[in-house]
Amino acid sequence: MRKNETILDNIDWSLILLYFVLTILGLFNIYSASYNEEFPSLFSFSQEYGKQIIWIAVSMFLGFIVLLLESDILWKYAYWFYAVCMLLLIAVLFTREINGARSWLGFGSMGIQPSEFAKLGTAIAISAYISNMNIKLQSQSSAFYANLIVLFPMALILLQPDAGTFVVFTSFLWVFYREGISYDFILGFILRLIPFVDHTRIKIGSNFIPLLIVSGILVVSTLLLSQTTIQFFGMTLPGFWGLIISISVFLILALIVARITVMLRERKKLYYILIVAAIASSSLVFAVNSVFDYLKPHQKERIELFLGLEEDPDGKDYNRNRAMAAVGSGSFLGKGYHKATLASPQQGHVPMQSTDFIFCTLAEEWGFVGGILVLSLFVVLLFKIIQIAERQRSTFTRVFAYSIAVIIFYHLAINIGMTIGLAPVIGIPLPFFSYGGSSLMSFTMMLFVLAKLDSERKNVFR
Amino acid sequence: MNSLEYRKFVVLFFIAITAGVFSVRMFYMQIIDDKWKLRAEEISKYKMTTYPTRGIVYDRSGNKLIANETYYDIMMIEDEISNFDTTLFCQLFKINKEELVEIYQNMVDKQGKDKKGKSNYRKFKPYPLITGLSSDDFSKVATELQKFPGFFENVRTLRKYPQNSGAHVLGYMNEVDGTDLEKDHYYRMGDYIGRTGIENYYEEDLRGRKGVQYLMKDARGNISGSQEESKYDTAAVPGRNLELTLDADLQTYGELLMKGKIGSVVAIEPSSGEILAFVSSPTYDPNLLIGKKIGKNFLTLQEDSLKPLFNRPLQAKYPPGSTFKLVTGLIGMQMGVVDSNRAFSCIKSLVNCHGHPTALSMSDGVKYSCNPYFYQVMSRIVQQGKSRNIFKDSKIGLAEWYEYVRSFGLGQPLNIDLAGDIPGFIPDVEYYDKVYNKAWAFSTIYSISIGQGEVGVTPIQMANLACIMANRGYYYVPHLVKSIKGKDISDRFQEKHYTKVKSEYFNPIVEGMWRVVHEPGGTARRAKTEGLNVCGKTGTAQNPHGEDHSIFIAFAPKDNPKIAIAVYVENAGFGGTWAAPIASLMIEKFLNGEVKQEAKEKRIIEKNFLTDPSIH
Ligand SMILES: [Zn+2]
Repeated sequence: MRKNETILDNIDWSLILLYFVLTILGLFNIYSASYNEEFPSLFSFSQEYGKQIIWIAVSMFLGFIVLLLESDILWKYAYWFYAVCMLLLIAVLFTREINGARSWLGFGSMGIQPSEFAKLGTAIAISAYISNMNIKLQSQSSAFYANLIVLFPMALILLQPDAGTFVVFTSFLWVFYREGISYDFILGFILRLIPFVDHTRIKIGSNFIPLLIVSGILVVSTLLLSQTTIQFFGMTLPGFWGLIISISVFLILALIVARITVMLRERKKLYYILIVAAIASSSLVFAVNSVFDYLKPHQKERIELFLGLEEDPDGKDYNRNRAMAAVGSGSFLGKGYHKATLASPQQGHVPMQSTDFIFCTLAEEWGFVGGILVLSLFVVLLFKIIQIAERQRSTFTRVFAYSIAVIIFYHLAINIGMTIGLAPVIGIPLPFFSYGGSSLMSFTMMLFVLAKLDSERKNVFR
Repeated sequence: MNSLEYRKFVVLFFIAITAGVFSVRMFYMQIIDDKWKLRAEEISKYKMTTYPTRGIVYDRSGNKLIANETYYDIMMIEDEISNFDTTLFCQLFKINKEELVEIYQNMVDKQGKDKKGKSNYRKFKPYPLITGLSSDDFSKVATELQKFPGFFENVRTLRKYPQNSGAHVLGYMNEVDGTDLEKDHYYRMGDYIGRTGIENYYEEDLRGRKGVQYLMKDARGNISGSQEESKYDTAAVPGRNLELTLDADLQTYGELLMKGKIGSVVAIEPSSGEILAFVSSPTYDPNLLIGKKIGKNFLTLQEDSLKPLFNRPLQAKYPPGSTFKLVTGLIGMQMGVVDSNRAFSCIKSLVNCHGHPTALSMSDGVKYSCNPYFYQVMSRIVQQGKSRNIFKDSKIGLAEWYEYVRSFGLGQPLNIDLAGDIPGFIPDVEYYDKVYNKAWAFSTIYSISIGQGEVGVTPIQMANLACIMANRGYYYVPHLVKSIKGKDISDRFQEKHYTKVKSEYFNPIVEGMWRVVHEPGGTARRAKTEGLNVCGKTGTAQNPHGEDHSIFIAFAPKDNPKIAIAVYVENAGFGGTWAAPIASLMIEKFLNGEVKQEAKEKRIIEKNFLTDPSIH
């Protein structure tokens, strides 16, 4: 009895509340996105909205079980969970291909997607590995094993193949960054090949990860803008100047913010870092643009094709084009609930609109206001999870919290990004909104496991 | 461990910046930029155009000149075609496989290409493969067509010209081209537009206004019902019906008389300027230029050496010949250089003439069509002796003459309600100064006194001259439209245009015209028709390329005239031989409703200048 009281007393109810709000909003959105006039009731269990109710019930039941279980089980059996997930990922490769991929393990008419659960399993395994007191995070071997835990399921997922989930697994890099896993040994290996550089003096550590991501974003943005022009105070400039201008504006803002918030003692160093970062970013943009200009037409074409710059609204771009039209047509307040004309089941212009493109229905029916509301709820959830992560004394809980934060963040960024033309179209669900049992169960358990671990933050030191 | 805690800010920063970028992007897509809203409309809405019926055109007694007839297009959606039996399909439409391939290719080509050179043709959209099947033709294939998935019919209406005549008045229609689309945004690809004739001039009245119905369309392109915006739907407004001034019987009769002859017949009601007949010969059946036949038939007509598409009454420029003596005489009297009782000897050394008694008056001059008579009148018009310098003197005279001639509607387009009438040519001082390097006098330019030389007129201008004679001094701009349903016709057709010659001077000339037809020695005895009091004037236009052109202008009856007419028959010699009898038959047909001069009629109808070029 005492134990239960402890859980209820220490549980973070705001996290649970956010979960309920998102799930209920998600359900009502599916009710509109896959509405069938012949089954007007929300509780039509032959329809996706009826089925989603069942999945919500199952998920909450699982979440409730998680709250009741001893949390010791998690780290004691962490690698067993991981192993089961990996076995399911292997098993799924022996199933029949559906739509060009082997992603479904069928149990009768119901099926599960092991890749959804593999994220949870991997998160638990990584938490267990990093929280093991016997490892040294800066060592080459710990970096190797930590990466192996992530790379193994990624390889299996690539075999399905499931590009979306594969990309989501790269989110674990952020966890490694937060925990300080160093990539210097890889970087050193590469730098050794460059003459006149003393690779032993390069100590970037885990800063390598955000640098890599920022560089990646800059490279892709430069390429995307390479064929465009921008208007700047009446001047027509090549598109990449937009990035240079953004970087400059950003630098000035950052310097002002730093001056106001950072203590004098640390300010100088921060100024130095910001200026160096801005110069480095600008140089990268210039360099990429020059190299791209230098490329032969057929090489450019290949890159443009890869980035999806070639417009083909009724062919390759069909999905994205329809999705963006649906979002754009939502205007400020949207067309109203059940009133979508593109992302509507009757018109069927937006494909997979109850799963991968669920955000279209929301943005079309609720407009900018609805879209921003949901986006904000997600940001609040993510900030909440990171807040929870940072208040832990347990490394395990912190790593786990960071893992699910970045997983949800990646799902959010890619899923919404692809409906507004800012991310490539790779099918992954929007947590709590997309129709589907596996993803809902997996995300529910992530949050409830976190809630459970968090509720014990005062008596766990591990 | 705590040394890494700051890194939470890096993670939070990335989340925040992503959310920020997304918010800005959504704000731009959903609120600022219209691109995606327009794209959404394009994808999800179907703007169905409802086509109005085009106005019907009637003649002055209510006979249909232009009607609408239902036609069928065979549409095809390439993606929906399955188990296509080429042989059966070809049999059904009576074409061979090569033709089918060609038809298909034409259809694809017609859709044009986008900026990158990719075809705009889409396999999931319907396009017309075979166009313009008549109801009869379609009923033969209707049942069989259902066996071809991906093919269906589309009903539309095309023009029909029930009288099979009046091609040059009625004109033809064809599909709009790029220039039309640019000029008038009313049109969409595939619309038809009047190209010539009434179809062209009254296009905006005839076409009506298209209606729009906004429908919703699903991903497969099926219509899934109307939508909220049906409040923006507009109904099609039918085109206005036209009543023309044309007399269908007279028109058809004129075309019959002109068969086998090249030339024009234009008949006008002098008291109103209403055009009663407008014959351009050779002509063609206006029904040839309809629907799918148009391309082939147009080419055939265009390549015909007799130029049946050429609108002779408006665009053929001939010398007026002796008919111009009427103008010369009138101007002479108005200017006071001669009076109506003036006699002039027939001095053949001045200009050639035929044998006739001396013309003792203006009326005689007209009756005998005496060349030296009008030579001498004109010489007095040009050389009035106002300057001692003969060159300066002739300039003063010609400049005055020019203004008088212009007041007869000559040397400028009449601007009738058909596009393309040309000005003809009346030489002025400037012109002769250029040609003769300023050194010219009447003796240089005398041939214009008898309507030869540089003077050029069109048949419509000659018919208008006949009206002026009939009205004794004024005309209305000749026109083809009598009334437009629900709209007034242009004011400019109701405005009297006076010549600069006083009405009284017309009497001796008209008297002469009567005598031309009715008295022995007159040049157009063949135009005499019992009880109709025809007044006329013959003309013979010199033609350096062959036989002279036969000309006759006339009106009847002498008092209170009901019809004025001009007839041009190319290469038919003297005006009295062919043009005059044609004019008289037309007048008789119009005034009596029937023709009793059967021998005259037979002679005209049987004459074919194309097979028998003799002029007698
Ligand atoms: Zn004579």
